[in-house]
Amino acid sequence: MLARKMRHLRSTILWIVVAALGATAFAVLAQSRGESINAAWILVAGVASYVVAYRFYSRYLALRVFALDDRRATPAERLNNGRDFVPTNKWVLYGHHFAAIAGAGPLIGPMLAAQFGFLPGTLWLIAGVVVGGAVQDFTILFASMRRDGKSLGQMAKEEVNSVAGMAAMVAILAIMIILLAVLALVVVNALRASPWGLFIIASTIPIAMLMGVWMRSFRPGHVLEASAIGIALLLAALVAGQWIARDPTWGGWFTWSGTKLSWGIIVYGFLAAALPVWLLLSPRGYLSTFLKIGTIVTLALAILLVLPQTRLPALTQFVDGTGPVFAGKVFPFAFITIACGAISGFHALVASGTTPKMVTRESEARLIGYGGMLMESFVGLMAIIAAATLEPGVYFAMNVPAATLGPTAETAARAIAQWGYTLHPGQMEALARQMGEATLLSRTGGAPSLAVGMASILGGVVRGSGLALWYHFAIMFEALFILTTVDAGTRVGRFMLQELVGHVWEPFGRTSWYPSVLISSAVIVAGWGYFLYQGVVDPLGGINSLWPLFGIANQLLAAVALCVGTTILIKMGKWRAAWVTTVPLVWLVLVTLTAGCEKVFASDPRLGFLAHARSVVPGSANAARLVFNDRLDATLALAFMAVVVVVILASAREWWLVLSRRKAPAVHEAPFVESAFATGD
Amino acid sequence: MNRRDGMRAKGEGRPSSAGRTRRVLGVLLGAVRQIVGAPDYQRYLAHHVARHPERSPLSPRDYYAEFLSWQFGSGGPTRCC
Repeated sequence: MLARKMRHLRSTILWIVVAALGATAFAVLAQSRGESINAAWILVAGVASYVVAYRFYSRYLALRVFALDDRRATPAERLNNGRDFVPTNKWVLYGHHFAAIAGAGPLIGPMLAAQFGFLPGTLWLIAGVVVGGAVQDFTILFASMRRDGKSLGQMAKEEVNSVAGMAAMVAILAIMIILLAVLALVVVNALRASPWGLFIIASTIPIAMLMGVWMRSFRPGHVLEASAIGIALLLAALVAGQWIARDPTWGGWFTWSGTKLSWGIIVYGFLAAALPVWLLLSPRGYLSTFLKIGTIVTLALAILLVLPQTRLPALTQFVDGTGPVFAGKVFPFAFITIACGAISGFHALVASGTTPKMVTRESEARLIGYGGMLMESFVGLMAIIAAATLEPGVYFAMNVPAATLGPTAETAARAIAQWGYTLHPGQMEALARQMGEATLLSRTGGAPSLAVGMASILGGVVRGSGLALWYHFAIMFEALFILTTVDAGTRVGRFMLQELVGHVWEPFGRTSWYPSVLISSAVIVAGWGYFLYQGVVDPLGGINSLWPLFGIANQLLAAVALCVGTTILIKMGKWRAAWVTTVPLVWLVLVTLTAGCEKVFASDPRLGFLAHARSVVPGSANAARLVFNDRLDATLALAFMAVVVVVILASAREWWLVLSRRKAPAVHEAPFVESAFATGD
Repeated sequence: MNRRDGMRAKGEGRPSSAGRTRRVLGVLLGAVRQIVGAPDYQRYLAHHVARHPERSPLSPRDYYAEFLSWQFGSGGPTRCC
């Protein structure tokens, strides 16, 4: 009895200490008015919040709200088929789920949002994930697990109604297209006029094909072996790229313009979707997963070793909406720019994908669902730190489009001085030389500035050595897994389109019917290809128009997921606890609808699509196309907002029907079967 | 031979450190394979022998081909951005 009390006392003291540490870190962050602080404080604030939230909030969700029951057999146990329904060790499944949800999002979003200073991004990453993102992932994972792995769309249809289900399917397809376009844009901007970078990425194609042949014919299924070879070759290409870039002939061949690169990626995307999966898609997937996890771990270790000082202020003047990187005030745009890492609707697709079929015991869903998202938020914090270690002058010189900065280092320095930040013209040239690039000016899209930040941190481990190699390593890692997302996403998108159209015209839905395959692949590629091209030639910089559209679409899907979650909770009789999903839902709806309205109706031509269309001088170059694109983007934003409203109304109707007892709450869970695991050990 | 309880005679199956390392490595690599979503032929064999002893199992090559067609059958593994 005494021993238990002592343990309880020790545990309470420990948690008070952790909470105090976190509070101190937040205080330091809040009071750093323009002074440089150590990035460690950002990490401490984040990690302390994560562990406290995990220990208390996720426990409350697991025990009181979802009432996870280890005596209940999970679908992995009941339907074990050695294939997709496989009981998996919780740490292995945690890694698998994290590898599936982590991508470019938590890195690019925070880097772009650093325009407002590092504080808004940090606060949103921490508060958003604890109250919103991790809750969404956990809820959907739990719901899908109880329904033998049903997808989000299926759950929306069954638990809410078919309107919500159809809206979810349309929203998912639309998000896919915008997501692929915007990620492809990030890659184009990173590889533009960069022969070293393009060489490495171009070589990933034959390397992947070699791996594919190895794994299929030479040594069937030996993924680890083939991946080791692939990574070794990739690193060789990384080093070789330096010489390629320096050689006048070869360097010239690999120096591509933005438009040429877009066409290259479009053609690549279509071919990759058409070629057999064993040749390109599957090996690229393995390569990028290994590289992704390896790089994240390396960066985390480097940050912990170097503990860099911040150079970016906590808040910049651009919270007022005059931001040069993208237009919009800190509310709502900081919360739209950072989706992955705080709350991302796309994760609901992953949480209702393969993961729920692999959970061994219900209680493990807490670690995998809630904990997995916390880890991604941590990755987002690392991106904030990478951004914060850049000097403000450098950050803006890299991320602001040339239309604002002007073509030369001098014009850029003048523009930046006007905003109150110092940048010597020679500084950017010296930095470019250090990073092995011709120029770093207006390398928008977030990836190059992330690479510079990462290179200085990684290079700082051994006293600033090999910066150019680290820079291109960072570019390679980003570009590789973005391109893998693009080609795999095109394939997934074409299946979705075939299924959707198959409802109306059955033959189109036959996934191996070649005409249907070709047409749907072409439609998907044309979809994102169009937005990619638009973004590349956009005078305001494609990020300004596309990234907010992507953010709005992503948060919209999160709102759909939270609606489904709320509906399920209410039907389970847990309506008193439904605030756990409705609070983030209300916030998201507020943010997405405000952002959507501002993007469509704001009178600032940099911010509002329609205002920009009105500001185009009729008869000037590309006038018709610019106006058309603006109207298209505005229509898309309005369509997204309409879908949010429709889903909320459809869900609210269900809630009212159930709560007022006009409709019996029918929960479509799989039957309760006693678990052998619970009694076994 | 004098032996105290708990001590084993020479050559009586004390796990060698090389064997232990190999086992640990095997477990680790198996975990890595599951994390990245690689096919596990040994696990397939074990499952097949247990569930369908009357049918002969697929060769590694056929198993890998079938694994891919299953994994990418309805599009592919859902991965976020």
